[in-house]
Amino acid sequence: MSTLASPNSASAGTTSPTSLVGGVSTATAASEQRVPPRPIDRRRLFRTSAFRHALIYATLFSALSAATLSFIYWSTRDQIESQVDARLRLETDYLINLYKSGALPELLEAIQRRNQIDTYGRFYYLANNDSAATATEQEAESLPIRLKSIRSHTTRNMGDVADLPPGSPRAFNPVRVAETQLSNGLKLTIGHEISDEQALLDHTFTLVVGATVLTLLFSLIGGLTIGASVLRRIDSVNRTASEIMSGDLSQRLSVTKRDDEFDEIATKLNQMLNRIEDLIGSTRQVTNNVAHDLRSPLTRLRNRLEVTLLEERDADSYRTVMSEAIGDADSLIQTFNAMLSIARLEAGLDSVEWKDAAIGDLTTEIAELYEAVAEEEDLRFTANIATNPVFHCNRHLIAQAVTNLLDNAIKYTPRPGHVQLAVTGDDQRFQIIVSDDGPGIDEKDRERVLQPFVRLENERNSPGNGLGLNLVKAVAGIHNAKLELGDAGPGLKASITFTQKTRRAREASVQ
Amino acid sequence: MRILLVEDDVEAAGYLVKGLTESGHVVEHAADGEHGLQLAVANAFDSMIIDRMLPKRDGLSLIEELRRMGNMTPVLILSALDDVDERVTGLKAGGDDYLTKPYQLSELTARLQALTRRAQTGVQGTVLHVGDLTLDLIRHKVTRSGRSINLQPREFRLLEYLMQHTGQVVTRSMLLENVWDYHFDPQTNVIDVQISRLRSKIDKDFDAPLLHTVRGAGYKLQEMNSAVEMT
Repeated sequence: MSTLASPNSASAGTTSPTSLVGGVSTATAASEQRVPPRPIDRRRLFRTSAFRHALIYATLFSALSAATLSFIYWSTRDQIESQVDARLRLETDYLINLYKSGALPELLEAIQRRNQIDTYGRFYYLANNDSAATATEQEAESLPIRLKSIRSHTTRNMGDVADLPPGSPRAFNPVRVAETQLSNGLKLTIGHEISDEQALLDHTFTLVVGATVLTLLFSLIGGLTIGASVLRRIDSVNRTASEIMSGDLSQRLSVTKRDDEFDEIATKLNQMLNRIEDLIGSTRQVTNNVAHDLRSPLTRLRNRLEVTLLEERDADSYRTVMSEAIGDADSLIQTFNAMLSIARLEAGLDSVEWKDAAIGDLTTEIAELYEAVAEEEDLRFTANIATNPVFHCNRHLIAQAVTNLLDNAIKYTPRPGHVQLAVTGDDQRFQIIVSDDGPGIDEKDRERVLQPFVRLENERNSPGNGLGLNLVKAVAGIHNAKLELGDAGPGLKASITFTQKTRRAREASVQ
Repeated sequence: MRILLVEDDVEAAGYLVKGLTESGHVVEHAADGEHGLQLAVANAFDSMIIDRMLPKRDGLSLIEELRRMGNMTPVLILSALDDVDERVTGLKAGGDDYLTKPYQLSELTARLQALTRRAQTGVQGTVLHVGDLTLDLIRHKVTRSGRSINLQPREFRLLEYLMQHTGQVVTRSMLLENVWDYHFDPQTNVIDVQISRLRSKIDKDFDAPLLHTVRGAGYKLQEMNSAVEMT
C-alpha cells in the first residue's frame, strides 16, 4: 500500500507531468519502430493521477464508513447490554428485597422456584465465597442483615458461571452476569444468556468489516479502471502526437461523442493543428509559387545579360541594358517584399503598430493622393467618405490595402473612366469600397484572383506581380474583415467589410 | 562626409564602400559589432550605417551602447527585416532612420544626407527660405517673390519637408514616410503627381524653377545657379 500511495501531494503534483513526458517519448520510440501500441504498463497505471485520487478517496471513504458502522455496532451493543442489565437489576432487587424481609430459606426457595420455571438462559444461584453451607447455617438467624449492595455486571462464558453437563455446546455462550455481594459472605449471582444478541452483534461486526473491505476494494478497482481509461485516452493522444511529429500533419486526435474534458482538449488541439497545417500549407504554397513565378523574371534577366555579352557593344547600349537589368531586379525585389509581407500577415505576426485610427480621415488622405493621380491619368475620381469610424488597426496596412485596390482600379480602367472610393456604414460595421467602370472580373475568376500570383489573361502584359489582391485579402484577414469582389455594373467593385470587435473580444483574441 | 559602415556581408560592404567613396565620402568599414564599437568610440564620424544583424554584437545593441555613452552621431539602420514592427524597434534602440535591404544606393545616400543635415542644423527657424521662396511655419504662409501661394495642407507639409532638405536629393519613399507616414510604395506614381502639382504652384509662373527632378533618385529643391554647380 505504501508503495502505491504517493507520500505527499506536492511530489504527486510534480510526478504527473514527468510521467506524461515519459509516455510521449516511449510512444515515439514505439511508433518509429512500427510496433503496435503495447498494453498499459502496470507501474504507469499505479502512477496515474486517477488511481492516486481513487486511492485517497477510497481510504477516506472507507475510514468514514468504518467509523460510522463501528459507531452503530458499539451503540447497539451498549443498548443490548443495558437492556439485559436493567432486567437483571429488576430481578436482583426483587430477590434482595425478599432476602431483606424474609430469611435465607425463602430466598433459596425463590431461587429454586425460579430456576425451575425460568425461561431459557436465565439462572439464579446463591454462592458462598468460602463455604456456602456453613455460612447458611450460621447467618440464618441474624437476618435481616446489613446488605453490602455491591452489584457488578460482566459478560462471561456460560461454562464459567453455570453448572453445565460436560461438553455442552452452551459452554462458550456469552452470559451477562449480575453479582451482588450479600453481607454474610454470600453472593447472589444472576445470569442471563445473551447468545442471540451476541449473534446479532457478531453479524453486525462482520457486516462492518465486510462493508469496509468491499468499499476499499471497489474504490481501488474503480481507481484502476478510471486510471486505465485515462491512460488509454492519453496514449491515443501520444500516438497521434508521435505520428504528427514524424511528419504526418494530417493526423488528428480522435474526439468521442462523450464531449468530456478529453474531447475538449482534443478539439482544441485539433484546432491548433489545423492552424499549423494551414500555416505550413500556405508557406509551401508560397514556396512553390516563388519557385514558379520568380524563375521567369530571373531567366529574362539572365538572358538579357547573356545576349548583351554575345558581342561588343558601345557604352550606351551597355548602360541601357544594365539599367533594364536593374529594373528587372527591382521588380523581383518588390515581389519578394510583397511575399514576405503577405506571409507575415497570414502568420498573424503583427502587433506593435496597432492603434485606434479614424478610418474616414485615413481614406480622405488617400483620396487626396489618388484624386490627383486620376486627374493626370484622365480618369474621373469620386470619393464618398460618409462615415469616420475609429477602428483598432494597423493603419499602414489599411492604407496599403486601399492603395492597392486603387492602383488596380487605375491600372485596369480604360480612359476616360470613373474610379470611386467610398466608406459607408456605421461605427460598428463599415465598408471601404473601391469601384470602377472598367471590364470587371468574371464571377468565376473572383475567388481565384485573390490567390497569390494569379493573373488573368487580359493583364498578363501589364506590370505587376500578381500579389496585390492577395495582400489586400491578407490585410483584411488580419483585421477580421472580409474582402469581396463584386460587379459594379459595369466594372469591378471591391469591398472590405470591417466589423468592430468589442473590447473584451479584442483582449480575448490577443491572449 | 566621414562614414562608419558596420556590415558583416563583405561583398555587400565592398559595393557600398565603393559607391560611397565614389560619391566623395570617406568610409571606414567594420565587419562585426565589437569592431564597429571600437571604431565608433575611437573616431568622430558624421554618420554611421549599421546593419541590424551582426556577429559578436548585434546592431541594435551596438547603437544602444553608443547612445548610452553619449555618442549622438546619426545612425542609419540597414536591415533585411522589412516590416513596421522591426522599424519601430530599430528606431526605439536609437537609430535615426531605417532602410530595408535590398536598397538603391541613391536611396541610401539621400537618407544619409538628410540625417547628417538634420544633425548639423539642429533647431530650424520658423521661416524657411530657398531663393525667393519663403515658408512661414507659424503663420502657415508660402510666398514667392512676395506673391502669396495658396497650398493645401498636405502640399504645405511636402514643401516644408523639401525646404528642410534644400539642396539634398529626397527620394519618393522618404517623402511617403515623412510627409504621409506610409511605409510602403504604392505602384502608382502618387508622389510624382503630388510633386507636379506642387511644382505648378511654386514654379510655373516664375522664371527660375526651384523644384528639380533627379533622374533615378528623386527630387531636389534648390536655387537654379547652385543647382548648376551640383550637376
